[in-house]
Amino acid sequence: MFSERAAPTAQGLLGPPSAKPPTFPRVPVLGYSDCSGPFRPGERSFGRQYAHVYAVRLAGMRAPLERRARGRWGNDVVLRKLSELQAGEKCCVVGTLFKAMQLQPSILQEISEEHNLVPQPPLPKYIQPSDELILEDELQRIKLEGAINVQRLVTGTILAVYGSEQDDGRFLVEDHCFADLPPPLPWNGPSSDRFVLLASGLGLGSGSGEALLSTQLLVDVVTGQLGAEGEQSCAAHISRVILAGNLLSQNTQSRDTINKAKYLTKKTQAASVEAVKMLDEILLQLCTSVPVDVMPGEFDPTNYTLPQQPLHRCMLPLSSPYATLHLVTNPYQANLDGVRFLGTSGQNVSDIFKYSSMDDYLEILEWTLLAGHISPTAPDTLGCYPFYKSDPFILTECPHVYFCGNAPRFQSKLLQGAEGQRVLLVTVPDFSTTQTACLVNLRDLTCQPITFSSFGAEDED
Amino acid sequence: MADELYLENIDEFVTDQNRVVTYKWLSYTLGVHVNQAKQMLYDYVERKRKENSGAQLHVTYLVAGNLLQNGHVCHKVAVVREDKLEAMKSKLSTIASVHVYSIQKALLKDSSPLYNTDYDIVKTNLHNCSKFSAIHCDAAVPRMPPDIPRAQTSLQGSSQRENGTDAPSAPAVNGHGLPAAKQPSQQHKGIMGMFAAKAASKPQDTNKETKAEAPGVSTASSKPPTKNNIINNFFGKAAMNKLKVSPVPEQPKEEKEVVKPSVAVAETESSPNPVVEKPGKRTESARIQQKDRKSKMKRVDRSDNEEERDPENAKRKRKRIKQLESDSSDEEDVPPPPTPEEEQAPSPPPIPALKTEPEPAAVEVSAGGRKRKRKRVLKSKMFIDEEEGCMGKAG
Repeated sequence: MFSERAAPTAQGLLGPPSAKPPTFPRVPVLGYSDCSGPFRPGERSFGRQYAHVYAVRLAGMRAPLERRARGRWGNDVVLRKLSELQAGEKCCVVGTLFKAMQLQPSILQEISEEHNLVPQPPLPKYIQPSDELILEDELQRIKLEGAINVQRLVTGTILAVYGSEQDDGRFLVEDHCFADLPPPLPWNGPSSDRFVLLASGLGLGSGSGEALLSTQLLVDVVTGQLGAEGEQSCAAHISRVILAGNLLSQNTQSRDTINKAKYLTKKTQAASVEAVKMLDEILLQLCTSVPVDVMPGEFDPTNYTLPQQPLHRCMLPLSSPYATLHLVTNPYQANLDGVRFLGTSGQNVSDIFKYSSMDDYLEILEWTLLAGHISPTAPDTLGCYPFYKSDPFILTECPHVYFCGNAPRFQSKLLQGAEGQRVLLVTVPDFSTTQTACLVNLRDLTCQPITFSSFGAEDED
Repeated sequence: MADELYLENIDEFVTDQNRVVTYKWLSYTLGVHVNQAKQMLYDYVERKRKENSGAQLHVTYLVAGNLLQNGHVCHKVAVVREDKLEAMKSKLSTIASVHVYSIQKALLKDSSPLYNTDYDIVKTNLHNCSKFSAIHCDAAVPRMPPDIPRAQTSLQGSSQRENGTDAPSAPAVNGHGLPAAKQPSQQHKGIMGMFAAKAASKPQDTNKETKAEAPGVSTASSKPPTKNNIINNFFGKAAMNKLKVSPVPEQPKEEKEVVKPSVAVAETESSPNPVVEKPGKRTESARIQQKDRKSKMKRVDRSDNEEERDPENAKRKRKRIKQLESDSSDEEDVPPPPTPEEEQAPSPPPIPALKTEPEPAAVEVSAGGRKRKRKRVLKSKMFIDEEEGCMGKAG
């Protein structure tokens, strides 16, 4: 995208200084509205149990699932609750999945005295062939077997199964379906090229300097300092930058203060202090030139449970006076220039990765969209706020761009839905390891990765 | 436009000062548009190479363009050394831009000098970092900050009662400071309160120059000149000499003792280091500060005679605590020798002694501390009678 437009003037700066170099105005924001309201619970009380989350989730998704079931298996398919099941009768049941996994870390097992177990080390995947699927609804639960891929599914998914109850009390599944893509949103996208830069995993404070120059190059490209005139004028069409989490590196998380004696750690300050200062300077450079949305991630100084609340502006004294800085929640949903963006910092996808046989982040991302829920494994294995009124992670409208941050590599796919939905799925790679960010063109929903590199002691490629 | 001037400037930077001259650094230093800076660098290289091949100039370039990688076309932006320029250009299917990134005399092994140069120059120009950029954003205006007071100046106002008045404004002020600095800033106010009390006057501009980083540093730095006189007033010549000796062992302890979480603290303590005589007081205030913390943010009284009494109180408190809590944490590494030496009588010897009596009941801070605790502290009734040249015990 950039290169073709910029190519004519590529070598323009290899010459004596010109009298008046052009300055390009940044494209103005056509329209912005933050739709992340549901992700800010407001007053947070943790007095409730988590069972309510599943109850409201099932209640919220039952209607679309029943519609979907009727569409798939015929209008006259019998919809039953588990308590009304009759042996041998073919019917459809809507419920929540529960996957019983032997390797799933359980705090009760760890502290149980009779087991005397050493806590299990974290594994990349916790799946095992012996896992079982159980369907639960409001009152009962039943074991599932049959044409259902146990390894692939995760706890917390709401689905509809079609089959019959066996004599041994298990449900034999012949077919199942998910909520599928939510209803489409009208398209109000721009008619000319406009870009949104998606980056995640800046990983500041990691103590390693290689990625720092790449981060600086990224800031310079966006702010229009780098590149010849053609590239700078293209960069002026970047209307927004979204930083999708993990602005700080995992190294800032180590807390010596817990392990070491107090006299050794008295004078040490948290590594995140320096890292946040660096972040503030980088954000300042960006904010003076382009609107920025900052989403918190797994290693950022905000709460742990989803939905993560925005970073507090007191941590960013230099950049918070600018109106172009928006500190937003994780997950984040907004209308940018008429295009609906929805994305997370990647915790939902990486959690599903751990408990499912799916290996590809893009595949998992697509699967969550088809399952109609951003993060089904919350609150089981992913921390979540105990919602009780409604589950904000249910997808009610189909976004135009659906992204997740901190993926191992860049992938993108344009998904077309049966009802006219067009979704661009993007897995934003971790910048500190890949030095790659994504440029999304809002006009035609295409995405291009942009890589930065510098030279090191050895030559690569 | 001074065509030749910039060539001379670049020449000076590269050859004489042996700098790494990046386009960004040049743009800020000469105050020109970034594109002009890039062109200037290119022009300089060309001319220099034409003139004499004796001068060794190493140039790095920025190349950007399309590259087929992992099955999709990605836009690659790379900083390359001159010898790899053609190789990189040939790898790219379309070239979007090529320009000079930096010039330096030495061959760079890796790109960290480039990053450091850019980082430094941006750091010094943080408030107009997009001034010379090629893109200008109208929306990027800072909000008018009625709620962002010049926190630092109010924090370090030279009034002696700053800590008292600061307490109510502290929440609003600290709302824009770093949260990490919140806690130490309270402590700082304690120290600063001490320093402020001791310093006859604090220049306002030194206060202003310290940003959120080290509120204590400016106070510390402004302290020395004024403290000099005060110390001379307090201590006699004989004591002064002894004091010079004593602070040295105290200094390392001071550094150990005064524990503050933020970096500012290190700076605060490093500034006293060059000054030998000062540490005496500083250790006292440092110790006082620890005691403050120990006694739950108890602050020293901020009356006018505090300067005179505080060291004594501190010394005496110190002495008392040392005896009682000798096995307490290593914070309390109180050196025995300086204590008697420091027990000098201020100008009116008996007065402080008398004043110590009402002191204990009122040892609290009106300064900064939101917690005003009245604590009974045992005070030594000893004083040094300068006229007589002896130590006496009152009461």
